[in-house]
Amino acid sequence: MANQENARPRALEGVRIIDLTWLQVGPQATRLLATFGAQVIRVEWRKRGAIDFLRYFQPFAPNHATPDGGRVQGAAPTQGIRGNYDRGAYFNNTNPGKYGVTLNLNHPKGRELLKRMVRDANALCENFSPGQMEKWGLGYEELRKLNPGLIYLQTTGMGKAGVYKNYVSYGPTAQAFSGLTFLSGLPEQDQPAGWGYSYLDHSPGYFGAMLLMAALRRQRADGRGAYIDMSQTETGLMLTGTSIIEYQLTGKKTQRYGNRMPYRDWAPHGAYRCVGEDNWIAVSIQSDAQWRALLEEMGSPAWARDGRFATAAGRKQHEDELDAKLTEFTVQQDRYDLMNRLQARAIPAGVVQRAADRFDRDPQLKARGYYVDLPHSEIGTWPIEGFPAKLSASPAYVGGLTGRAAPKLGEDNEFVYHDIFGLSRDELTALREEDVI
Amino acid sequence: MISNGNLRASLKDIVIVEIGDQMGDYAALLLAGLGAEVIKLEPQTGSPSRSVGPFASAARDPEESIFFWRYNLNKKSVILNFENPAASGVLKRLLAKADILLLAGEFPTVQHRLEQCGQIAEDNPGLIRCAITPFGLDGPYCELKSTDLTQMALGGIMAVCGYDPDKDGKYDTPPIAPAMWHSYHIGGEYAAIAMMAALNFRDLSGEGQLIDVSVQVLIASCTEIAIPTYIYSGETVLRQTARHAMPAVTQMRLCTTADNAYMLASLSPFEREERAFVELADQVGIEHVLRTAEYAELVKQDRRAALTYRNDLIEQVVASQPALELFERAQALGLAWSPIRRPEENLEDRHFAARGTFAEIHHPELGRHLRYPGTVATDGQAPHLDYNRRAPRLGEHTDSVLKWAGFSRDEIASLKQQGLI
Repeated sequence: MANQENARPRALEGVRIIDLTWLQVGPQATRLLATFGAQVIRVEWRKRGAIDFLRYFQPFAPNHATPDGGRVQGAAPTQGIRGNYDRGAYFNNTNPGKYGVTLNLNHPKGRELLKRMVRDANALCENFSPGQMEKWGLGYEELRKLNPGLIYLQTTGMGKAGVYKNYVSYGPTAQAFSGLTFLSGLPEQDQPAGWGYSYLDHSPGYFGAMLLMAALRRQRADGRGAYIDMSQTETGLMLTGTSIIEYQLTGKKTQRYGNRMPYRDWAPHGAYRCVGEDNWIAVSIQSDAQWRALLEEMGSPAWARDGRFATAAGRKQHEDELDAKLTEFTVQQDRYDLMNRLQARAIPAGVVQRAADRFDRDPQLKARGYYVDLPHSEIGTWPIEGFPAKLSASPAYVGGLTGRAAPKLGEDNEFVYHDIFGLSRDELTALREEDVI
Repeated sequence: MISNGNLRASLKDIVIVEIGDQMGDYAALLLAGLGAEVIKLEPQTGSPSRSVGPFASAARDPEESIFFWRYNLNKKSVILNFENPAASGVLKRLLAKADILLLAGEFPTVQHRLEQCGQIAEDNPGLIRCAITPFGLDGPYCELKSTDLTQMALGGIMAVCGYDPDKDGKYDTPPIAPAMWHSYHIGGEYAAIAMMAALNFRDLSGEGQLIDVSVQVLIASCTEIAIPTYIYSGETVLRQTARHAMPAVTQMRLCTTADNAYMLASLSPFEREERAFVELADQVGIEHVLRTAEYAELVKQDRRAALTYRNDLIEQVVASQPALELFERAQALGLAWSPIRRPEENLEDRHFAARGTFAEIHHPELGRHLRYPGTVATDGQAPHLDYNRRAPRLGEHTDSVLKWAGFSRDEIASLKQQGLI
């Protein structure tokens, strides 16, 4: 399984993480830790009610994709293959670089085996519903008795401490509660637009990785562990500070502003329609010089000589009319051509890129090597989203130690239980027969 | 009570020198919350983020930017006139005592600073340099102009956020950049992760390194199923009101409560949620046929009609109750529903009060405290992040920091005379 990529120096060399996470919010943290070279052992159970929802969540790899093929065989929509939990595309993108084992935590021997693994691990991560680990007798207080230096990262919607400790949450729930949903969209006569994805299924993962790495430094220095009670909602609240401070000072209720910039005389500032179906370009004019450059690019139309648009303050004051006039121009323009022409005049402008634009066309993402081809043992080689920053001495590698995309269910039982934890093959056979692994 | 495992001082051995604009503010703020000493070097006119609104007064004074306040808690401010050729000498002595140099801004500026600090990095091989730029330090776009908005466009988040298409599948509303400054937020979170990884690597190897953060790529990394859907199935996801962009338009989940608030209310495919919803509908006295033979037959005959029926029922249940009461009822049954709150509504929430979510920060100039969102996690008792000092006034710590860096009183006076600090 070794390849050249994973021979590089690793920031988290020698770190072992027991990964009990599922869905998106938990696996995001362990994905990052694997990317920095931690040995992440993803623990799952293969019974239908326990399987990670993402394993049977669309999109799926096309039915024709084989282990020695992959994207070269072509993309195609599919409903998946019933009963096969190894073909989830989003799962594959969410869990690369991790080892995969099956383990039945409802079985006492399963819990014993988990404890054995925890004794020899740096950290454990989980995002079960609040209280599940305690029901199994595997809560932090129990596990730290076995391994006092353990770092335990628990992610819940509201946080495990506090009044709402048992409340349940998906990303959108936390977004709504934190204020992030309210903040997105056109001003208030319109509904909030919210978010087209769950930022709060990512942000707790980012913070989880960050805090866990802080704890790892300390563990290395003095052996101390940590309990990290991560709150999805609080990671959203962190982003609303400016509104909250302004409210305390002025009593002014938070508003939302669409794509406009309320705090500066920047106008036009928005998304403008271009030629083609649902094609848009974002343009931000920040100065008189940029405004004059935009006018030149538009061929200095007569409407622009209207005195109302002569100053930044005037443009801001008449933003609706300004947007309508600019749109009359942009709807006749090709979006990329216009972006290039505006950028040539040093005007901040960017096409509103869809996935196809980013994947097939964006020269910057290509040049940065953002998409990384990784093999999967069932569906072949597919591009996986990489780590979005470059580290010169300990480069991030999304294939982690496995050099692979996501694991199949239980793919690494032999390697993890036998090679790492020293169980004999006979023991493994017995555990399999008893429905423990 | 702060436990032995609390992380609030876990970076107390780390000194960060931060130079640049609002793309770097949040990254350094996060590490400052873990105890890192962050020294912000600013030109005489102040860092660019001091000119970002909203402002605490109409004067738009650089000391009154609420944006700056929020993203610069716990930090120290030192004035340094970068244009003066002698600035390199001061930088060198400061960086000799630093662990991380954080640079944020447009590519030419950051590139210039990296060159300015090149020799210093060679003399201090353990120094971690983190450069946050709009597009990264290389590639065909690296010199393009950008703002938060254009980054959200090019990076791909805008294309997945906004409102439903009309009945013909056409959009008459633009894509939306959700919340302001989100590119800075993602940039800050990822840069902090990368710096934490680099600190771990330095502990193992003694080596520093250069971290090259492209804000555009960070945004591109955060659109969930948009990219996998396209890569594997060739389909494009459609933006839709207050729910995930998907290849097809899904059922609405924004409902209005009896007290005219918005509620995010829907049921996931898990059966237990439908059972809980039936319980809720029964509690509030809304009649229905869910979990009867009649409904089972409808599901069999016309799945879409069954979903619409269930969705209408959710709307009725939500419309029958005030937001807070419904929220607590739904949650007691295990339904992940939530009111859509304004951020400030959380200030008085007893849950956050119990967790210590908001840090009380004293503003001597205002003669009062302000409460800042101040953590993302606890140790079970107390927050892991610790914010205890308001953002610095411009140059507030010039003398004390230079003294710490080994400058004598005479040297400091001389630097002032030269207009360097």
